[in-house]
Amino acid sequence: MEKIRITVTVNGDRVETDVAPSQTLLEMLRDTLELTGAKEGCGLGACGACTVLLDGKPTRSCIVLAAEVDGAEVVTVEGLAQGEHLHPLQESFMEKGAVQCGFCTPGMIVTAKGLLDRNKNPSKEQIITSMSSNLCRCTGYKKIIEAVEATASSRE
Amino acid sequence: MILPRFAFHKASSIDEALALHKEFAGNALYLSGGTDLVPRIKLRLAKPEALIDLKGIKTLETVEQDDRWIRIGAMATISDLMKNPLVAEYVPVFQASLESTSCETLQMRGTIGGNLLQNTRCLFYNQSEFWRKSKGFCLKVGGEKCNAVPGAAVCLANYCSDNAAALLTVNAEINVAGPEGQRQLPLGDLFSGKAGRPFTLKPGEILTHVLIPKKKTRGGYEKLRLRGSVDYPLLGVALSSGNEAVRLAVGAVGPRPYVFDMAGWEEQSLHDVIAQAKATARPAPNTVVETAYRRDMIPIFIERLAKRLAGEAK
Repeated sequence: MEKIRITVTVNGDRVETDVAPSQTLLEMLRDTLELTGAKEGCGLGACGACTVLLDGKPTRSCIVLAAEVDGAEVVTVEGLAQGEHLHPLQESFMEKGAVQCGFCTPGMIVTAKGLLDRNKNPSKEQIITSMSSNLCRCTGYKKIIEAVEATASSRE
Repeated sequence: MILPRFAFHKASSIDEALALHKEFAGNALYLSGGTDLVPRIKLRLAKPEALIDLKGIKTLETVEQDDRWIRIGAMATISDLMKNPLVAEYVPVFQASLESTSCETLQMRGTIGGNLLQNTRCLFYNQSEFWRKSKGFCLKVGGEKCNAVPGAAVCLANYCSDNAAALLTVNAEINVAGPEGQRQLPLGDLFSGKAGRPFTLKPGEILTHVLIPKKKTRGGYEKLRLRGSVDYPLLGVALSSGNEAVRLAVGAVGPRPYVFDMAGWEEQSLHDVIAQAKATARPAPNTVVETAYRRDMIPIFIERLAKRLAGEAK
């Protein structure tokens, strides 16, 4: 099958790459660009472990084709830190103990980033609504919600 | 889970999409948000030679209004429609169904056209090819038996769009464009009533717009689900009233939403419509909960919704 040339901005870098028509965005990020932060959980768009920001929107990259994102801007969890300084959400997830096995964490943090970019001061209900897009099998969610709340309130 | 090989094309107009469909002799599928279709292809429930991406057709994203209709482009996302003031003002039943659809992230990606055209679902069908092969292929994929109900003569998969049930209560219509031109039809005519092939669209046809009568209505939607997020409905109940007419739709308990007219809000009308809904619905043992539970929830959900709406009106 013929490859398709796409141009996409990933974590601020312009990337030109050839993708197979049936390659997912997640496969391109992990296998071609070696950005293994986003995880493949269910592979069917149900769990959110593969969430990345696509033109600012939290998006499940396992059910989006790489060919669909030609011209778009993608931010993965690797794109959140500034040099050696982690993003406040990452610091907050560590501080609040919102990470256990860690498999859902990149998707959780990117989903939270999407929320805080849209809404600087979300209510607890809004945080719960946004974060309920993602599944976690360990934490019971409480610490995750607390970590997002703490980040939002520290920015006020 | 790895996708099988297929070709990928982007269309920038309806004509281009139709031409591409013809080029692949019909063995191509239209792609909108992909939240239903891509998982289906991963599970080998659909095996297209090509995908035709419709997201480049910008005219299909807009919401317009005239004296008669609110005209919604099929590529408008669930999330965009939730924020559209026309929806909240005229069709609260639709606002409620949009909000119950899946979860926030998928609402941002999924489109109303794709939501209406999502395929029917079954615990024994929405599985990998490997899994399905081990049980023997079922009626829905051309096999000879139903794996949910041994001996069933027809497929019993459920149609699970929250929004279809809601839109049927307000007499929504749809625009379709195809190789033979455009047509407008009542949304109800989209459904074949057969779970195996749930839609009446002809090969190559594209759902382009959803039209909602621009009349103020009262209404609501109640959804039975195990989790408050992501889940498909195990039962969906939509109710709307405008002027004198009251209309009920019950979804996710058969191959299409079932629609019932109510004589009014009084106790007897409610009693009658509940009896009709219970007699018509076809819940089968093909979800994660007991069939009897889903059947028993039909009157409870209808009554709960009707009483809530009647209370809000007072």
